[in-house]
Amino acid sequence: MTAVERPAAPPVRTHKADRRWVGKSIRKVEDPKFLRGRGGYIADLVRPGMLHAAVLRSPMPHARIVSIDTGAAEAAPGVHLVVTGARAAELTGPLPDFGPDPTKHTWRCLAAEKVRYVGEGVAVVVADNRYLAEDALELIDVEYEALPPVTDPEAALQPGAAMVHEALGSNLAYARQFDFGDVERDFAEADVVVRDRLRWHRSGGQPLETVGAIADFDPATERLTVHTNSLSFTSYMFMAAGALGVPMNKLDVHQVPAGGSFGSKLFVTKPFVIAGMCSRLLGRPVVYLEDRVDNISNCDHHGSDRVYDVELAVMRDGTMRSITIDTVDDYGAYIQFGVGHHGNALAQVTGPYTINSVRYRVRAALTNKNQQGAYRGFGSEVNNWMLEQMVDKAARELGMDPVEIRRRNFIPPASFPYFIPSGNVYDSGNYAAVLDKTLELADYDHWRAEQARAREEGRYIGIGVISAQERSVFSATEFWFWFDEPNAPVTSSPESVTLGVDATGTITATLYSCAFWGNSPETMVAQLVAEEFDVDPHSVSIIYHGTAGGLPATGPGGSRTTVMLAGAVEGASAKIKAKARKAAAHLLEVDPDDLEWTEGGFQVRGVPGQRKGLDEIAAMLHMFKHSFPEEVESGLEESKVFDHPYTTMPSADRSDLGVFYPFMGNACHVPVVEVDIETGRVSFLAYAAVHDCGTLVNPRSLAGHILGGTTQGIGTALYEEFVYDEEGQLITSSFLDYTIPTAAEMPEMTIGHIETPSPYTPHGIKGGGEGGRMMAPAAINAAVNDALAPLGVRVTELPMTPDRLRAAIRAAGQVSSAAR
Amino acid sequence: MKPPSFRYSSPATVPDAVALLVEHAEEDARVLAGGQSLVPLMNFRLAHPGFLVDLRRVPGLDSIRMDGDVLVLGAMVRQSAAERSAEVRVAAPLLAEALGHVAHPPIRNSGTVVGSIAHADPAAELPTVALAMDAEMTAVGPQGERRIPAAEFFQGPFTTALASDEILTEVRLPPFAGGHAFVEFARTHGNFAVVGVAALVAVTDGRVTRAAIAASGVGPTPVRMTAAEEALGGAVPDSAAIGAAVDAGTAGLQPAGDLQGSAATRIDIARAVLRDAIERAAERAQDRR
Amino acid sequence: MTDLHPISLTVNGREYTLAVEPRRLLVDVLRDDLGLTGTHIGCEHGVCGTCTVLLDGASIRSCITLAVQADGAEIRTVEGLADGAVLHPLQEEFWNKQGLQCGYCTPGMLLRACELLEQTPDPTAEQVREGIASNLCRCTGYAYIVEAVLAAAPRMRERTPAQTPTETTGAQA
Ligand SMILES: Cc1cc2nc3c(=O)[nH]c(=O)nc-3n(C[C@H](O)[C@H](O)[C@H](O)COP(=O)(O)OP(=O)(O)OC[C@H]3O[C@@H](n4cnc5c(N)ncnc54)[C@H](O)[C@@H]3O)c2cc1C
Ligand code: FES
Ligand code: FES
Repeated sequence: MTAVERPAAPPVRTHKADRRWVGKSIRKVEDPKFLRGRGGYIADLVRPGMLHAAVLRSPMPHARIVSIDTGAAEAAPGVHLVVTGARAAELTGPLPDFGPDPTKHTWRCLAAEKVRYVGEGVAVVVADNRYLAEDALELIDVEYEALPPVTDPEAALQPGAAMVHEALGSNLAYARQFDFGDVERDFAEADVVVRDRLRWHRSGGQPLETVGAIADFDPATERLTVHTNSLSFTSYMFMAAGALGVPMNKLDVHQVPAGGSFGSKLFVTKPFVIAGMCSRLLGRPVVYLEDRVDNISNCDHHGSDRVYDVELAVMRDGTMRSITIDTVDDYGAYIQFGVGHHGNALAQVTGPYTINSVRYRVRAALTNKNQQGAYRGFGSEVNNWMLEQMVDKAARELGMDPVEIRRRNFIPPASFPYFIPSGNVYDSGNYAAVLDKTLELADYDHWRAEQARAREEGRYIGIGVISAQERSVFSATEFWFWFDEPNAPVTSSPESVTLGVDATGTITATLYSCAFWGNSPETMVAQLVAEEFDVDPHSVSIIYHGTAGGLPATGPGGSRTTVMLAGAVEGASAKIKAKARKAAAHLLEVDPDDLEWTEGGFQVRGVPGQRKGLDEIAAMLHMFKHSFPEEVESGLEESKVFDHPYTTMPSADRSDLGVFYPFMGNACHVPVVEVDIETGRVSFLAYAAVHDCGTLVNPRSLAGHILGGTTQGIGTALYEEFVYDEEGQLITSSFLDYTIPTAAEMPEMTIGHIETPSPYTPHGIKGGGEGGRMMAPAAINAAVNDALAPLGVRVTELPMTPDRLRAAIRAAGQVSSAAR
Repeated sequence: MKPPSFRYSSPATVPDAVALLVEHAEEDARVLAGGQSLVPLMNFRLAHPGFLVDLRRVPGLDSIRMDGDVLVLGAMVRQSAAERSAEVRVAAPLLAEALGHVAHPPIRNSGTVVGSIAHADPAAELPTVALAMDAEMTAVGPQGERRIPAAEFFQGPFTTALASDEILTEVRLPPFAGGHAFVEFARTHGNFAVVGVAALVAVTDGRVTRAAIAASGVGPTPVRMTAAEEALGGAVPDSAAIGAAVDAGTAGLQPAGDLQGSAATRIDIARAVLRDAIERAAERAQDRR
Repeated sequence: MTDLHPISLTVNGREYTLAVEPRRLLVDVLRDDLGLTGTHIGCEHGVCGTCTVLLDGASIRSCITLAVQADGAEIRTVEGLADGAVLHPLQEEFWNKQGLQCGYCTPGMLLRACELLEQTPDPTAEQVREGIASNLCRCTGYAYIVEAVLAAAPRMRERTPAQTPTETTGAQA
């Protein structure tokens, strides 16, 4: 490999060993209000007198809108406003889109000239309440001229396919091939090339709460105040302001807690823009709350939808040398996040293994389906699944044990920080330790013995073993390096915190984005503040600032919240302590350097009696400024804007993408399943998972996210799929058809942690919110394949529904047997 | 997702209820029982009844009683009440077992047994049980009362022999001396079954003397598996005989494929479920003697 | 406008008389007319269980129940669980065990668990898992909810009637 010159890494930190609050599974500070049903979610903010919007959805996958007759709807009782897509296109600009050439696949809050998928909005009605608004929707008459639907991503790229966006000239929204390292040579030298074709269908976050916005335009001040459960409400505000044509300093967006997101509420600009547009027209507050069908058919959370052709170059001893990945991703009709999903894949494209070189070809296809958004893992979970499938296939072809082949290729602990071929860095890790602990928790040898015994009885038990990466704390370069000449510089995606110690010594932390969605930003901040100031985390008060007058912030996503907030808390705390130290030194009449922070105050080194508690210092600073030298300002409040701590730029030729996802977790999942070959049902016998996300702030809450993510991964592996039929109809538009696993489908899970701290973050924390779903699909697929190995069946398509499994088993010649 | 507008009445007698159905026939008047199928359909705006006749205030419709050896469940007997009823467990254990598979307890707390039969969802458990048990449905209309045997009642998906101005006041379940089993295959707990089988098997001196079997999910209505019943008749219910019954029962089935399974998969699943149901019913029949 | 129907509801021990359009869903009446926004809306077609309340002690889906169908009933919502400052044992254990993340399913889960423990005061983990399978949670993976319900069970068994907030005895009996 040619040596790449790399910019310096951030300084390596030493982490304090005796932590009091970081590492404790305290009860979460957010919970009491939710337990009492006082969550204050978006729907809870609806007040009498607000008007309600409802959206008419296209029943057609692809059609020109010939005419819309809204007369009857406008005349219906209680109706205040009807806006068609064409009118909305005059009133609002396109929605924010990070894809290439946004003008060639313009995305709007409502469809203007043609509809591009079933469920796309064509008109909005505003009425006194939602019942009346829905009544009026039934009175709108739309004439469509049907166009041929494009439903298969590969067929979409064939010449002659109907075009989703004529302006683009084809359905290929993006195509690029990257070579990292000497792929040709590595393949030439390989003993064996393992090939496969894999298919991952789309599923989505499906939070139990849909998306909503309440917009209140004041015609007198021309100010638009919006409450919405969008999470990155700070970072996208300028884009929403642009879409609405509202000056940014007249727009104030307020955080509300979200009832789940999993990526689905990162931006969610449609409800925001629709409510904002209607409120501006009416000069009254307008509520737009999606219902479930709105959310399923027209949301931002349809996940990756990929076809893979992969080749893995291996040596006979199991050493993996190179991999070529060719993927077509079905982005649906629009392309909000560009192909950032593949940036996620490239962040950990070679997994925990020492693979020399990579060829990555991505083609983004546009089809008549809902646009892709974000779903926990953001495309890296698909890469994990693809890679682990290939590793298992290599093991089969080489006659190796699946555990052994992984061990042989692990990046050894001494090699960190380790740069992978794409240019990203893995900061730290101990993959063998994670694997060993998982095998132990899983009682691996016992299950192998059980499996052998079961096979003799004609039962099909399978054990999956996967080891995969869990990238955290994205840098925006992953949306940026796709273009040779990006149209703007890259953002550092900052996060901010203000800490204030009031005159009584109690502490308030102000957050600027990173709204709550079921992660625990408040608990994290409370524990981090408690660690800094030796206070009870439950005594820390947390508030969220709206966008007006707020500090720079980005919001959750890419498992960044905890690390970024930790950096901001650390920075703000240091400033507070610096000021408090000076003040204490003045009050104690000693040199500031003679003071040390201990037990919630500053004390003269070695003289316990001579100290000032933070409360005393704060009281003095707030109220008795004249006791201090002239330059001391009243009060004790400090802010920190924390920028992404480790980003480096890609090379000009993109043969190296630089560091863009540096804090790399790792996990091993070992599910044990039984497949009923007669019905295709998969049930769990056991499930063990060990994650290494660096230092843990609240181990139980992290374990909770592993459990929740794994459950979603079980859904992805076995149950969940947004199914569009060949005609482009969405046939899973409700919870009746889109199957979400219940408590009864869950395995009894054993969770373990390994903590390999990051050298670059406060306390050594890495992000860990997405891990479960990044591992489970791969692990369960591996387990099912292991179970069906005696039949010669290998499943290469998710979800593994009974129908798909039965089809595969039938194809292998296993006709269902009636008699036992 | 809010229901369209309708008018509503909760009459105190069955004749009043029938009169309301007649009076508001033009508005597509409908009976409201638990609402657990009707209200979701209205929320989706897939149903637009202009008038609902709620049976909740008609006294006596929530009774579970024996008429001789026939178990009679009134129109407003909630599924959870039937499930908990000792009478049901004794007189119709097949129904009791099937009820445990109908949705989830919160839905069974509202949904009625008769409402499920009237709704005639081809994937539902209770119509299948009614068919296997040779139930009779008592219908009251402007012309008076009639009894409709299950074999004639289910006519297609969500389509029954009931006229739009008739009310089902009760379902009558005759006894079956033998073993029972309700077995189903559903994607997740409480979900509608892909395939469900209700089996009743009587065994005397080690041989099957009578069998009554019905299945959901293999046709547009619940299907009575007479060929399987005949194959079992007189046989020792061992695995060979059960296998033959499964072959007979599933031969010629032509289920429509859908999201949950192609026709071939549905037949595969039906075979496994049918076998398990017959096995369990036969075992219980042996135990009963 | 369509005709309004008079109904009376006892919610968390308090009586209300209202006139409602027959099509209004119980969940909307609770949330919009009575201001009890702790009962959430997730799907409005009966699948997810976020709208679960107790009606005469039995859990129901308030999104597929018309308010007129509840006329005369005693209803208990999440707002009726705590006794002032004192959390209900289930609320307390959900907090202790981290049985919630986003909290959106929580009110429904709590009420369903309440019913479950009244019917099965000493359940096995399996019974709890099956029992709460009626309610979806998209965040937690259910494991800590199961733990919380199991931990609350003995505390609920020990609760003497005197400790039960009098306001809510109706629904609790
Ligand atoms: C999430 C969910 C899951 C479900 N899962 C299942 C399942 O797994 N299996 C299953 O079988 N069911 C399932 N159901 C349906 C449930 O069992 C319903 O309760 C039942 O099908 C209808 O009973 P009901 O009393 O609620 O009837 P309603 O909804 O009130 O009525 C249903 C239909 O029957 C008519 N009707 C009702 N009673 C009478 C009568 N006495 N005379 C004439 N017409 C009448 C009504 O007019 C209406 O057309 C599910 C429902 C939901 C919401
Ligand atoms: S909102 Fe009532 S069940 Fe989903
Ligand atoms: S805690 Fe979020 S849905 Fe259950």
